[in-house]
Amino acid sequence: MGSGLPVSLVALSAGTGVLVVAAAYTAGRLGHASAPWADRLYWLGQMLILAPAAARLLSRRVLPAAGTVTVVVVLTIAEYLVKVCYSPAAFTYPDELMHWRGTVDILQTGNLFTTNYLLPISPRYPGLEEVTSALASVTGLSVFTSGLIVAGVAHLLFVCVLYVLFRDVSGSDRIAGLAMLLYASNSLFQSFDSMFIYQTLAVPFFGLTLLAARRLTAEGTARNPAGWLTVAAASILATVVTHHVTSYVLVATLVVIALASLLAGDRRSAAWTAGLALLCAVPVVSWLVFVAPQTLSYLQPAIGGAVQSLRTVIAGGHSSALPPSVGPLANQVLSGAAVLALSALLPFGWWQVWRRFRRDPWIVAMAIGSLSWYAIIAIRLAVSDGSELAGRAATFVYVPAGFIAALAVARLVSVGLRWRSAAVVALALAGALLLLFDGLANGWPPYWERLPGPYQVAGAERSVAPDEVAAATWALAVLGPGNRFATDSGSYPVLGSYGDQNPVRDIAYLYTSPAFSSSDAQRIRAQSVQYVLVDQRLSAELPASGQYFPVDRNAGRYTRPLPAADLAKFNHAPGVGRIYDSGNIVIYGLEGPGYAP
Amino acid sequence: MHRSQADLAVTAAVAVLACGAAEGGVPTAVTAVLGIMLFAAPGYLLGQLLLGARVAGLERVLVVAGLALAVPILGGLLLLATGVPLHRGAWVGLLTGVTLLADVALFLRRRRWRPAPASGQLARLRLARLRLPPRHAAAFGAAVLVAGCGLGLARIGAARQPYPGFTQLWLSPRRDGVRTASLGISNQQGTTTRYRLVLLHHGSVNATWNLTLGSGQTWQRAIRYTGRYAIAADLYRLPDLSHPYRHVATAGDRVSGS
Repeated sequence: MGSGLPVSLVALSAGTGVLVVAAAYTAGRLGHASAPWADRLYWLGQMLILAPAAARLLSRRVLPAAGTVTVVVVLTIAEYLVKVCYSPAAFTYPDELMHWRGTVDILQTGNLFTTNYLLPISPRYPGLEEVTSALASVTGLSVFTSGLIVAGVAHLLFVCVLYVLFRDVSGSDRIAGLAMLLYASNSLFQSFDSMFIYQTLAVPFFGLTLLAARRLTAEGTARNPAGWLTVAAASILATVVTHHVTSYVLVATLVVIALASLLAGDRRSAAWTAGLALLCAVPVVSWLVFVAPQTLSYLQPAIGGAVQSLRTVIAGGHSSALPPSVGPLANQVLSGAAVLALSALLPFGWWQVWRRFRRDPWIVAMAIGSLSWYAIIAIRLAVSDGSELAGRAATFVYVPAGFIAALAVARLVSVGLRWRSAAVVALALAGALLLLFDGLANGWPPYWERLPGPYQVAGAERSVAPDEVAAATWALAVLGPGNRFATDSGSYPVLGSYGDQNPVRDIAYLYTSPAFSSSDAQRIRAQSVQYVLVDQRLSAELPASGQYFPVDRNAGRYTRPLPAADLAKFNHAPGVGRIYDSGNIVIYGLEGPGYAP
Repeated sequence: MHRSQADLAVTAAVAVLACGAAEGGVPTAVTAVLGIMLFAAPGYLLGQLLLGARVAGLERVLVVAGLALAVPILGGLLLLATGVPLHRGAWVGLLTGVTLLADVALFLRRRRWRPAPASGQLARLRLARLRLPPRHAAAFGAAVLVAGCGLGLARIGAARQPYPGFTQLWLSPRRDGVRTASLGISNQQGTTTRYRLVLLHHGSVNATWNLTLGSGQTWQRAIRYTGRYAIAADLYRLPDLSHPYRHVATAGDRVSGS
């Protein structure tokens, strides 16, 4: 059961897995994106990466410290390379395009707080863009290459910091390795957590702050309070400047550790962590009040919606949530099994905490934090758009949940080894692979864009094609930046990033009516729309993502493409010029009196 | 030079060389290597200053990497607060300045507190522990090579992904009241293409251009239009003159194509 597999062979297998996944991606690009064999090739590559690593971390022969950390690093780097292979020439994920735009703006203007039409809040948290523009400036590398380096280093740094924390808290490399394996099963690990987005850079600072707090609270070891306090302060400030939610979670985490320290009777730990929580809260609140007050209005819709849905459910009303997964049945089964597995492991982990670690404030804090696992399941089931919200929370929730589940797995395996070792290790390996494959199958890219390939209508990364990019760069060059554009969800991020335009989200009505009525004209005047981008392919294909427009009340309900006549109506509309035509894409200018200048 | 000060000399030299490279005239590969070293140097030196030799191994690497990433974040804010725009010179100056200042601070500290004589021996012991048996080193090397091939394959696949070619035609009036419009064509067909462009004024042919554009080539003109009527342009892809291949028109003109 992989018990003696050398770590170097785990690395070789992972490298081969990257090559196999790259071959599957290339097959997709060359026209086989829908071929079952290409899909199987992708999963074979992932199996080569994940299975040996999982087998080695779970094996009977316990790895030495260096071996464990090497397996964790190999797994992280291999999955990051898989992510890079998906888009090896340019950023294509919408959120990455938003931050690419912000970085280009800093390089061009020398100013941090420029306007970002796609993600207006991001210039108020410019840490990622600062680091990337600094690296691009001093190396002469492109923003894309610099962004890949920054995101990759930040992701690996976070993983290693977590590993060190887990090892330090548990006193066991084995438990730390298992906790990292379980952490890697979160659906964002291979994608969102390593993308060129502000959270990717903020989370290593979150981890470093906790590491510094751990060192400051340690007793009896060689400490350096001034040095670690400075590291903590720098990490806290960097977190605050880089990402809003991460900084709030950091304050909450320090408060929970302080409370757990009180519960465990460790006053020294309570004092240090409470002090650090205060040290963190002051810049968080100051930044929110003086630099980024719009953060509240940015976060309010998601949080307010979640609270409202939960209230409705608690009051006995019906959930407004869509089914948690609308993907293929296999994905839903995998998701359900993974939720059940982790939900069942956590109570067993708490029992281990009670038996062995109830005097350790950090482990008690993680036990408390792991309750958030059940909260995100509730949100996923009860809240409209809950899957999105719960998915985004996974980066943080899996830290305590992964650790507590690892305590359970380590105990079960060690008990099982005395009884029937091979069968128990095989069962544990199967369980770990179930969780890891669930993370991939229900993570990003979604099943409908698993492999890169030809253009898809209203998709995500496969909607970033040369004619979209050409239209967007034309708009910037000829029309200038910041124009209000009506567009579909496929062109939306391209137009806002490459084009530096200001696309409007709630615009579906304009494309779904048979005629350009006076009420349509009135409404787009009210929205100050200046240009309308029409992708003719909207009348040829159903939307890959289920919705044609960023805000689409018919999302998931389209049964046939939009009528061609609905898209052609602008050709005859008074006061509307047809100013750009590249075949698939036509741009109309609203030139008549009354339209926005 | 004392062995314990060699790192200070190296980081100072990197800072000076990177500054020189930033002035220009240096191959990108050299600038990239020096730039990455300059980017990492402040983190290494600040890690030494803050934690000294008391933290070792992975933990030291993590703190160094974290500090290296934090310096541009906090330093960039400070620069902007003092009115310095964040262009290339500012970033190079910031990283060089922090590196040299930390060098001086560390130099002075090390002169006051010399490291324990056993530290060199300890470092050698640590290195010995890291030494890999040849077959494992070969396997790790092969892993890097194979994964690198994967990246190369992905890049080749992305470069060779077939996309349908297209031609951009535009006629974009200026919005500042001046009666001129930008008329242009960009050939993205992936091959040299022959076109005929017909400019229509109130339905009548006003001008005609026969154009041969190479792949990626762009042609454009500023068109003045006076009077009450709007203008339109039909682009034909030769030899087909029966149907306009692309059509654009300013507001008010009837659409004749697509």
